[in-house]
Amino acid sequence: MSAWLLYLLLLKATLISFSGLSSLPIVRDELVVHYAVLSDSQLNAAVALARAAPGPFGGYVISVGYFAGGVAGGIAGWLALITPALLAIPLVHYVARSTTHPRARSVVHAVVIASAALILVATVPIAAQALGSTVLIIIAAVSTLVLAATGLETAWVIACAAATGLLFAWFGVPL
Amino acid sequence: MRQKLSVARLARVFLRNGTFTFGGGDATTASLQRELVANRGWLSEREFGACYAVSRVTPGTNLLAFCTAVGWTLLGLRGALSALVLASIPGAVLLMLMTGFYDAAITNAWLASAIHAALAAAVGIMLAAVWLLLRGPLRRAPARTLVVAVPALVLSLYGLLTPLEVLALAAGFGLIAPGREPT
Repeated sequence: MSAWLLYLLLLKATLISFSGLSSLPIVRDELVVHYAVLSDSQLNAAVALARAAPGPFGGYVISVGYFAGGVAGGIAGWLALITPALLAIPLVHYVARSTTHPRARSVVHAVVIASAALILVATVPIAAQALGSTVLIIIAAVSTLVLAATGLETAWVIACAAATGLLFAWFGVPL
Repeated sequence: MRQKLSVARLARVFLRNGTFTFGGGDATTASLQRELVANRGWLSEREFGACYAVSRVTPGTNLLAFCTAVGWTLLGLRGALSALVLASIPGAVLLMLMTGFYDAAITNAWLASAIHAALAAAVGIMLAAVWLLLRGPLRRAPARTLVVAVPALVLSLYGLLTPLEVLALAAGFGLIAPGREPT
């Protein structure tokens, strides 16, 4: 399969989805069922890899592209991942021009509060999956307190947490 | 007060967050909220809200739409493109490497231990972001904040509405009940 066709098929999937993994059924239908350039186990592996890597879970299309077409396929997957985001430009341009009106500011303010609630809800499944031991719960709690109480950059917190993970692995008790 | 902003500085923020923030798009959004709104003051809460709302109605990956919207808001097209590319490149490269070495990667206890710890920290990043987003509104208009936050939390937590519908409902509330609070 050419990288161009792979890009178009993955773009079709990403363009008609609105969250990370909602494009999965279309990807499976096209690449596993229709074109047979990907196996179900590779698709599962792609999802698992995206969860273990930094960035959005929707990045699994990069792994899918790589499995199906090597490096060129991976690049096709990356391009399919980022292309729909360009649609945000006209949208935010319009929204930004509208937010000078008091009622529009009130709308955005309510959206900010709701977005905090949505982030909290999104934390639940990640926490359920990620906090499988007391040490991991302590890492999460300390990270929360440090970030809420100080201006420390998140990269340092992530780096310290990863170093803690390595330290535990060094002592033979990987997290 | 806003720190001085340039494409290079903005690019560094997105590159760093794209490289180090595990836990998916929401964790990265939370991390960016902290850096751009709370720490550097480049983005106001109102601008953050606008970018967040736009990212939710843009097809594809919410996080990348959010980065693009933030880049556009701060520095126009140069900002949008640099944010989009730099927020996605590190994860893409790492993901391709991990895919290439998949069998070795899944059995490496050291790598798995570091990633598990980083994911635990991502939970902390998200919880802290929730607090930082709600802290100001709770102080300025607690009743109005709770009227929006609690239903949004319950409706989303129990799957009664999709995130997009929750945001639409909140927007509708803001439209019909404008408060004196947002500035």
